[in-house]
Amino acid sequence: MKNLLNKEIRLAASPLSYIFLVAAVMTLLPGYPILMSAFFICFGVFHSFQHAREANDTLYTVLLPVRKRDFVRAKYMFTCLIQLAGFIVCTALTAVRMSALSKAQPYVGNALMNATPLFLAFVLLIFAAFNVLFVGGFFRTGYKIGVPFLFFGIACLLLIAVAEILPHLPGLEFLHVPSGERLGLQCGLLAASAFVYGILTFASCRTAERRFERIDL
Amino acid sequence: MTVAILEVQGLVKRYPSFLLDGVTFSLEPGRIMGLIGRNGAGKTTTLKSIFNLVHPDGGEIRVFGLPMPEKEREIKQRIGFAGGAVDYYERKKIRDIAKVTASFYESWDEEAYRRYLSVFSLEEDKTPMQLSAGMRVKFSLTLALSHRAELLILDEPTSGLDPVSRAELLDVFRYLKGRGVSILFSTHITSDLENCADDITYIAKGKLIASGSLDGFLAENRQAGRGDTLEEIMVWHEKEPLYEKLAE
Repeated sequence: MKNLLNKEIRLAASPLSYIFLVAAVMTLLPGYPILMSAFFICFGVFHSFQHAREANDTLYTVLLPVRKRDFVRAKYMFTCLIQLAGFIVCTALTAVRMSALSKAQPYVGNALMNATPLFLAFVLLIFAAFNVLFVGGFFRTGYKIGVPFLFFGIACLLLIAVAEILPHLPGLEFLHVPSGERLGLQCGLLAASAFVYGILTFASCRTAERRFERIDL
Repeated sequence: MTVAILEVQGLVKRYPSFLLDGVTFSLEPGRIMGLIGRNGAGKTTTLKSIFNLVHPDGGEIRVFGLPMPEKEREIKQRIGFAGGAVDYYERKKIRDIAKVTASFYESWDEEAYRRYLSVFSLEEDKTPMQLSAGMRVKFSLTLALSHRAELLILDEPTSGLDPVSRAELLDVFRYLKGRGVSILFSTHITSDLENCADDITYIAKGKLIASGSLDGFLAENRQAGRGDTLEEIMVWHEKEPLYEKLAE
């Protein structure tokens, strides 16, 4: 598996997957739907799938002494690796916003979502949607990327809309406080979303392995 | 009795508009077998089935006596596949592709790799995109040979090559045969086979027409008045009376 991951990084990946990690810095933007950072990180991974498809990566890989399911796992591992890197940056910047910058006027008067543990929870949910709808959708055929990405795009927009609306609902205003309020509850939601991310990604990977095994290349 | 290095028994694959119908053949160590048939006859489906790229609906495949796909990883360590010219990672340097490929094989021989690069005049700083069709096939073979493959499976390796490149490639095949490597290659350029193959397997419209020694196949068909060369024999078997149909 280490060899396959190395192959993903050195041959199959598009440089855009790494460049789009910079989108995590959007976490700092006031007056902007900062969950778009998660969308752009996924968009970077999408480019690697596109790049790999054009480079006949699938055929090259399945001719190596590996099982078809290993190919699927390597793609999920690469995707999760990029998502983890993006999540770490988002988390670090969220911590900065919640501490050193918590009283900064642009954030105090921010009409849109502030960076809080709830934001990070939604980042993970968007990543999970990508893994299920796009990566899982790709392995239905082994080559189609347009429709799976469209489905992910719709799901992502819905998740962003829900996340932006939540702090404006009566009783949930505390979700909007820049320094974070009721952090125990918010961290609990973050942990729950991490659990959902793990379960959905694992299930999606297993399903993709079965689907891809049945495909005639 | 020699143990076959590759055994294909009753291979069946159904597509909506095509049926590969019970193809059976075997390849012995150190021999070159040509898999012939016209375009769409089922040659590539047969080769892909051997590599578990397509899933047969019936039949059995054993490589080195091991069942495919149950022993897929073990088998792939010992075989090399070249689907003609390299058409993957066209913008990556040969050096990078080879380095990654090497990491997957326990028996990768760096010295042999360097030697093939030198003999084939391949430059590691070039990308597949910068190579001619003949050089791409040679790079593909370099990768397959550098992990000491005991069986080479090649899908139309000589298609699209100029006569000189084809002659060079056949020289390589003869050299490898001398070193005990078995080769199965599909082609519809029958003159290539007459120059280097020991055996042939002939498939037409998904059905096996013949499988055995090339000399025996030629002698049998000459005696039956079907032609003197593989090309004439194939034409005798498969040519459709299009002229007559058009003239009706």
